[in-house]
Amino acid sequence: MKKIFAIAWKDAVIRFATSAELIFFIILPIIFTLLLAGGTPSGDDDNRIRLVVVDQANTPISQEIVAELDRSSAVNPEVLSLEEAESEFDARRATVVLIIPAGLDLKSIQDGTAQLDFRQQPNNLNASVAERAVQTAIRRVSSAVNAANTAVEEAKSRGTFESLEDEQAYFNEALQLAKSIQEDAPERVTIVEGNTPDDVEYDPRANQSAGQLITWVFIPLFGISALFAYEREQGTLRRILTTPTSKATFLLGTISGQVVMALIQMSLLILFGMFALDLNWGREPLALFVLLTSAALAAGAIGTTMGTFIKTEGQASGLSIMMGMVMSLLGGCWYPLELFPALVQNIVKILPTTWAMQGLLDLILRNGGLMQILPEAGVLLGFAAIFFTVGVMRFRYE
Amino acid sequence: MLKTFIIGIKDLRLAFRDRAALIFMLAAPFALTLGLGLVTGRFSGNSSGISDIPVIIVNLDKKELGNALEDLFSSQDLAELVEPVSGSSPEAARQSVDEDKSAAAIIIPEGFTNSIIPSQADFANGNEPEAIQIEVYANPSRPTSAGIIKSIVDEFISRVEEGQVSAQTSILQMILSGRITPEQAEQAGIEMGQRLQNSPNVDTLAIKLNSTTADGEAVQFDILAYLAPGMALMFLMYTVSHGGRSILAEKAQGTLPRMLVTPTNSMQILGGKVFGIFLTGAAQMLILIGATTLLFQLKWGDGFGVVMLVFAAVFAATGWGMLITALARTTAQVANVGSAIMLIFGILGGSFISLEQMPLAVQTFSKITPNAWALDGFTTLGLGGTLADLFAPITALLTMGIILFLTSVVLFGKKNLVQK
Repeated sequence: MKKIFAIAWKDAVIRFATSAELIFFIILPIIFTLLLAGGTPSGDDDNRIRLVVVDQANTPISQEIVAELDRSSAVNPEVLSLEEAESEFDARRATVVLIIPAGLDLKSIQDGTAQLDFRQQPNNLNASVAERAVQTAIRRVSSAVNAANTAVEEAKSRGTFESLEDEQAYFNEALQLAKSIQEDAPERVTIVEGNTPDDVEYDPRANQSAGQLITWVFIPLFGISALFAYEREQGTLRRILTTPTSKATFLLGTISGQVVMALIQMSLLILFGMFALDLNWGREPLALFVLLTSAALAAGAIGTTMGTFIKTEGQASGLSIMMGMVMSLLGGCWYPLELFPALVQNIVKILPTTWAMQGLLDLILRNGGLMQILPEAGVLLGFAAIFFTVGVMRFRYE
Repeated sequence: MLKTFIIGIKDLRLAFRDRAALIFMLAAPFALTLGLGLVTGRFSGNSSGISDIPVIIVNLDKKELGNALEDLFSSQDLAELVEPVSGSSPEAARQSVDEDKSAAAIIIPEGFTNSIIPSQADFANGNEPEAIQIEVYANPSRPTSAGIIKSIVDEFISRVEEGQVSAQTSILQMILSGRITPEQAEQAGIEMGQRLQNSPNVDTLAIKLNSTTADGEAVQFDILAYLAPGMALMFLMYTVSHGGRSILAEKAQGTLPRMLVTPTNSMQILGGKVFGIFLTGAAQMLILIGATTLLFQLKWGDGFGVVMLVFAAVFAATGWGMLITALARTTAQVANVGSAIMLIFGILGGSFISLEQMPLAVQTFSKITPNAWALDGFTTLGLGGTLADLFAPITALLTMGIILFLTSVVLFGKKNLVQK
């Protein structure tokens, strides 16, 4: 027992020999959690088509058009300067641009000279949808003026006006009347939200807290392989042969030391999630402990097996980071697994990161307890058993 | 100059012989791009474009307006956008939405037309028809598609409303001005309806919308054109810090001072080392670009623009590599700080999530990274832009590189790097 503790302590001292290790141990995980939790769409974001609007007129009518567009369920207007809009359009970052030219007012509509410019990228369905939404907004804003113009034309068909002033007065009265009719018009469409279940259970803070915890803990545990390669390169493993230390004691000391450090790192990240992100990680502490320990053992076992294949420390450290990142990505630690194609969702079940992530989400998102996470913990312990067996069987001091 | 070139080529060869470095330089960005392609559905043909939105229309009205709305959804104009199906039962239509088989159901109740265009009998008796609403039963898990269906229905209703407001205004105003009597209103309405039906201007807007389409072919943005450069740029930062590490390693091993016994001055030696880092970074980027083009059929855009942007990005990244090397004392420090900066620049530069989703302060801060500028340029190229559209990112990258190089030269001078 004393030997195991001594080996684990030696590894901790080597790992934290420089303060740079703290960057990877706690600082980077926190930065990534914060940035990804704050920057990942929550599903409640505006997913309407972006419509760049240039309002050169800045009149009540132009503002009414922008307000009407804002109410649209299809487009999301964003007012920019002409220069910005043209630059975005030329760079194809804006699918559509609506330009409201200077001089657009009630009089220009009445005169029939009012015009708007609508620019769209070629053969783009979003642009067609946006054009339709713009036409609806224009129709809404101009329909009272249109109605008053029609009223004047109808009146003219039954006799002329005595003077232009009479015609204008008739137009003004008709405009007021049209506006009051518009205001009294009943709603003709009702929107009812269906009961379609949303398969994507997602909370940016919970998902990123869990996902980054797995990413940043799995990478150093895979790095056990680098520890083995380092000691092999240095010849210290061979030297252990001269001491009364069995292979099992050495492996247990190395692996348990790294697993304990991983548990400390996870605890710090859990505390960060609880106090900085207001997540209820402490609801089921026993279930959380079982799951985190199972995940750490699985990752540690994979690191052990890797250590028996990889020859140099440099290769081991590169592969640990690469595998940690790829497995985290595919395991749903960065983006929700439910968004992946169905086939990929099934394939990634061979990864421990998938099970660890699902287990953590069972606890934090789905309010599960020990019973709910037992299947995930069981699979993770299965990974640990298989890879420890392979690792121990293949382990050589030289 | 030749010596500088030879030293650079030697370092390029060494970098590509180092298996451990190759994991970071090529395998990791390639594996992550592959992973991102898998999870985003890029390799399974999933498209994020909006087309063929499934919608069920239940027309219980069976009169002019109900039929007109049904015809609108089956029109050629909307053929690509929607895929309408006629239904007979409102309950079945709602269930189809609940089961996520349709983006929305449009239920046009019986009497909808009569609620807007009163029957002769209602008109004669002066009965105000009761307002009847079309129901759009929307699928909450497809908000964009359901929003588009709603906007089409909205547009249809706004046309109907406009006609109704025009007719009511015209008739009432003529009554109010004494041009017709209330008894003549019905006849005037019929005459007006016929006239408007035959008028070519019936569907024109009071505000004309001049629609123009940009020149060129339609460009379908490939999500991989954002993800692949994001990963390549992140691991470019590893390559430049790894190159910087080799400078300190050579100093520690004494090979740099030993070279001074040859007719080679310190500027040539350092210049060669920096040139080697630049060549390695450029080769890394170009290999990744070539591989993704061949294997994933990824279109990076204008070839000349891509090459110029790669050189500018590698120049700026090499500047960062030099600064890290100039500030560090040991190779271990360069390795640790380099890896940390690689990851921080990766997330700040948009390699993991789009910068547009980040808070404004983070977006502003990201401008210190070559990743953000270069990714901006690669996105422009992926969207069909050319070298002419890359003025801002290339200028920013070159400026960043020059500032970092000058700072590094000053720091190297203080360190007297080549002397033992």
